[in-house]
Amino acid sequence: MTSPNPMTRQALSKSADSRKKLIVLGLCAALILILFVPIFPWFQVVDQDALYGAMGLKASVVKKLTPDHSVLTFLSFVETSKQGVLGFWAFLLLIVSAAAIALCLLSVFTYVRRRRVPEGKGMLRVYSFFQKGMLLSFLSAAGTMGLILFANGHYGLRGFMPGFAPILTLAVSLVGYGISKRLEKTERIVCREHGFVEEFRRNWVLFLFLVPCFVFFLINNYLPMAGVYFAFTQFNFRDHLFASPFVGFKNFEFLVRSEILHLTQNTILYNIVFIVVGNVLQIFFAILISHVTNKRLRKISQTMIFMPYFVSYVILRVLVFNMFEYEVGLVNNFVTSLGMQRIDFYNTPGYWPWLITLFYLWKNIGYGMVVYLATITGISTEYYEAAQIDGANIYQQIRYITIPLLKPTFIILLLYALGGIMKGQFELFYQLVGNNGTLFNVTDIFDTYVYRITTTQPLSMGLGTAAGLFQSLFGLLVIIITNMCIKHKNPEYALF
Amino acid sequence: MKIKDRSTIPFHIVKGVLLTLLSIICVLPFIVIISGSLTDNYTILKEGFSLFPRNTTIEAYRTIFRSPEGIIQAYKMNFYYTFMGTALGLLVITLTAYVISRKDFKYRNTVSFLIYFTTIFGGGMIPWYMMYANVLNLRGSTLAIWFPALMSPFLVILMRTFITGSVPDAVVESAKIDGAGHWTIFWKIVLPVLGPGLATVGLFQALGYWNDWYRASMFSTSSETWSLQFYLYDMVNSTMAMRQMAQNVSLNTADLPTQTVKLAMAVVATGPVLLFYPFVQRYFVSGITIGAVKG
Repeated sequence: MTSPNPMTRQALSKSADSRKKLIVLGLCAALILILFVPIFPWFQVVDQDALYGAMGLKASVVKKLTPDHSVLTFLSFVETSKQGVLGFWAFLLLIVSAAAIALCLLSVFTYVRRRRVPEGKGMLRVYSFFQKGMLLSFLSAAGTMGLILFANGHYGLRGFMPGFAPILTLAVSLVGYGISKRLEKTERIVCREHGFVEEFRRNWVLFLFLVPCFVFFLINNYLPMAGVYFAFTQFNFRDHLFASPFVGFKNFEFLVRSEILHLTQNTILYNIVFIVVGNVLQIFFAILISHVTNKRLRKISQTMIFMPYFVSYVILRVLVFNMFEYEVGLVNNFVTSLGMQRIDFYNTPGYWPWLITLFYLWKNIGYGMVVYLATITGISTEYYEAAQIDGANIYQQIRYITIPLLKPTFIILLLYALGGIMKGQFELFYQLVGNNGTLFNVTDIFDTYVYRITTTQPLSMGLGTAAGLFQSLFGLLVIIITNMCIKHKNPEYALF
Repeated sequence: MKIKDRSTIPFHIVKGVLLTLLSIICVLPFIVIISGSLTDNYTILKEGFSLFPRNTTIEAYRTIFRSPEGIIQAYKMNFYYTFMGTALGLLVITLTAYVISRKDFKYRNTVSFLIYFTTIFGGGMIPWYMMYANVLNLRGSTLAIWFPALMSPFLVILMRTFITGSVPDAVVESAKIDGAGHWTIFWKIVLPVLGPGLATVGLFQALGYWNDWYRASMFSTSSETWSLQFYLYDMVNSTMAMRQMAQNVSLNTADLPTQTVKLAMAVVATGPVLLFYPFVQRYFVSGITIGAVKG
């Protein structure tokens, strides 16, 4: 229905007018990309002495500063001159500019690809990328102007001036956007597609339905992403959040030198153990329970095994504390009744990897077992009947029918688990170990480290954010790589 | 299946033994907690825990309810959070799931991806905390405790699967031809047949809210907004800390909030979950199965 009509397409795209416009679009994209090259001035310091005086800079610092700055390098000015006030804004500008560059490149790339593979809606995608790129470039230029206004107001003098680059960007992006809108309109008619306005007119109720979702994810997930800026700052109470000094990658350097290795190692190792041992046991018990023929017994044991999943981790903490406490703990009572020395679990790190794994399994075997059990009950009994007729015993049935048919479920669960390999079971670790410093070396994962900083050391906030950002980025990388491998091998399992 | 083959007998024995063992391991701690809470404190200190209450007494429960203000307040807050979060959460999750289940909605893939993306990348805990505590200034407010868990990508996708599974496209199409708008379709056609989906997603929500201590610990400024679990957490924590101190300076630990009181608290805090659990288990089972296989 939406495939383009070849006749109309020819008629429209052959017109010299639209080809000329396309060339203009290409020029716009090229010009904007060139303007983002860091040699062109976006910020210019006009009154150097007065401005540096107002900033209170020493002569040794002033010597390192140049009068011209690109939007991509302005942060280094912020860092050298220690003007944290400008940092957050400059950081957002950098992100927006990077996105603008990416989208412009993407539109060019899509255009080139489209010519090789003539595809129905190719041009619409090109226009869509292009327009987003133009909008972001406009935003970036306008933001530059805004930052200059803000800075001049903050220091009370006309210290900064916009260079020619942002002004040119404003104009070019507007022109490019306008032309591409026009071209898109014709292309839409050709492809029988409608745009946002038409979609909104038709389905405004759906947009209304999405409002709460939009607000929620904006507040809870997307706006906080801008907060990764804290990872590049050194928090202090005088300047507070958005004005603390910008320190570049210092926090990351510190992390790399001290914590990151063992945090990464702990997080990944624990997760690997959880995934491997967890899945093996879940499959094992799912198979066992599927062979319970008495329905009632089966139901009862499933209910019992699934039960720990429903209690909170605080209860788990009570439980573990009562079992492993030094004086009255269940285990130590047992140990002393055998005439042996009490074991000081809470001061001996060596026990905790085992204990944490044990209680992870205790809480989660039921969950995975339910998934695998559902797959097993979905296997047609005909397979087993045929196998029995052929003389296969129960072990052979499990080995050659059940396990191979569990493989797809296993792979899906494994992929999800791999995607979360950098995420820790925060509640488990925190409730079992808490703030017990003697155990941190073997029990600290990213999440507990960051939580500790959030709640107890506000001055190290930059460090905590940096650790969190590292965790997020590393996790993202793992997911992307995993996904690429799967897509290559077996596209139907791909995550996205 | 009848046992025809003699060679399978060892298998069935092993199966029976292992499953019984695992079932017991999974339930045993609960029994220890319950019987501990009913045991005399002195007996526990002297002889340790056991499976059955000895010198049975309800002293611990009496202690809790002698000054019940704290725990009643925590219970009230827990019900409040669970109710608000589950009711509002169900509404917004269902609305969103309906939108991304509509094939005629142009941006459904974009919206789905934006929701999914939050699970693979995020700003981290500190920016998230700053957003609520410093930017929105919600520290100490109950809003900060229930709002952040209102929706989760997993539950949205789960609900979408329920909707596409229980409302055939043809039904929606014919309703549209008869002139029904999205509003009518959602309230009159989709919601009435969505019972199991609502139950499953709602129970997941309710369980999450009931067991939450994390947000209460992050955003509370006074014990008035503590959730039940955090109330328990605080109690256990102060005992642990004091016990640690007592070990160092050799105080008399008998005067601390007793073992049994803690256990009784644990029973009181988990009670509702374990009471309801056997009856609603099947909803969780269906949710987990659908979510894991099709999500």
